[in-house]
Parts: sequence; C-alpha cells; structure tokens
Amino acid sequence: MIDNKNPLSPHIQIYRWHISSLVSITHRITGIINIVAITIICFWITFLLLGESNYEVIKIFLQSIFGKFIILSLSWSFGFQILSEIRHLIMDLGYGFEPRMTNLTGLLVIFGSFILTILIYLI
Amino acid sequence: MNSSTKKWLFLKVSSFLLIPLMIWFIFNLVSVFDKDYVEIVSFFSKQPSKFLFSLFLIFSYFFSALSISEVFEDYIQNKKIKNAANKVLNIFAIMMPLLTIIIIFNLKT
Repeated sequence: MIDNKNPLSPHIQIYRWHISSLVSITHRITGIINIVAITIICFWITFLLLGESNYEVIKIFLQSIFGKFIILSLSWSFGFQILSEIRHLIMDLGYGFEPRMTNLTGLLVIFGSFILTILIYLI
Repeated sequence: MNSSTKKWLFLKVSSFLLIPLMIWFIFNLVSVFDKDYVEIVSFFSKQPSKFLFSLFLIFSYFFSALSISEVFEDYIQNKKIKNAANKVLNIFAIMMPLLTIIIIFNLKT
C-alpha cells in the first residue's frame, strides 16, 4: 500500500503559546478524559447487574474524598468541553476570528468552566 | 458531497446535539453518583433518564470516534496503521454504547 505523502501536523512545541492554543489542546485532552470517564461509567453500570451486595465497594469509593474529587474534576472537564464546543460552533458560523475576540472567547471558556463547575455543584 | 465534508457535518451536528445532553448528564451525575444502589438503578432504569442516557452514549461515542479519527489523520502517515486504528476505534464506538444500552434496558428496580 502506498503511504500518503500529505504533510502531517507539526508537533505542538513549534508553536508560540497563546490562549487559543491552550484552549485547543485542553479541548483535546478533556475530550479524551471524558470518553475514558464515559467508558468507566459504562463499566459502573455493568457492575449494577451484580446486585446490591457487590455494589458496596463502589459506593464506598464514590463516597470517599477521592471519589468526590474525581466527580468534581469530571464536572470541570465536561464544563470545559461544553463551553469549548459552543465556541467552536460559533466560530464555524464565521464569528469570532479576530485576535482580540479569540483571546476573549478563549478566556471565557477557561474561566467559565470553573464557574460552571461551581454552578453544577450548587444547583 | 465528498467524504471529508460529510465527516465534518456529522461532527458538527453530533457536537450540537451533544451539548444539551452533556449538560443534562453532568448535572444528574453529580446528584446521583454517591447514592444507594436502589436509587442509582432507579435513575438508570426509569424514563426519561433511560432514554436520555442512551442518546448521550450514542452521540458521545459517535462524536469521539469522529474526533479521534481526525487525530489519527493528523499524526499517522502509514495508511495501513491508520485504517487498522480506525477499525478498532469504530468497533469500540459501536460495541460500548450498544452493550451498555442493553444492560440499562435489562436493569430492574
């Protein structure tokens, strides 16, 4: 089979860091974290089939500080993904490409994800 | 319409649909994760959460498979390896939600 001669994306080290690149790389990382978390949740649901007595171990883990910390981190990760996805969709419509606007929306995604995490816990 | 345009459109439509589902999911996850067995089974086996969670799983894996295949496109040059990676990814993205949905529909309170 002939290899594709199209150029690959250059590695991220060659770019100068700015808010958009930080949001972009965090978007990819949170995307991977979220799908891994969803897969673990699928296994968690599978565990429910084993009955109440076998579920105790998972319940103790989820009620521990570490379990609560994981759920809190996951709330931030999902919050970031939601806001970043909205930013992407707005950009797909052709808005927000000016450097000042990309910086502003990038900052909104970063700080907004923390505010959204707090809201998720308060509501 | 070529396949790249189709893929981009699927990515955008699934992303748009996933936003409300993600909001619904994360709010509910935070409220049920540390509850008793009976309450968690009841959450996953009753409507509308059974239906919404199934939709959430389908769109999440569909969107992830499309996004990860873009990463493969960016960083894997060898076509054989790229095709194999995409096949494994697609099988995983179909099997995981399918099996979980079957389990959810068989959960009894």
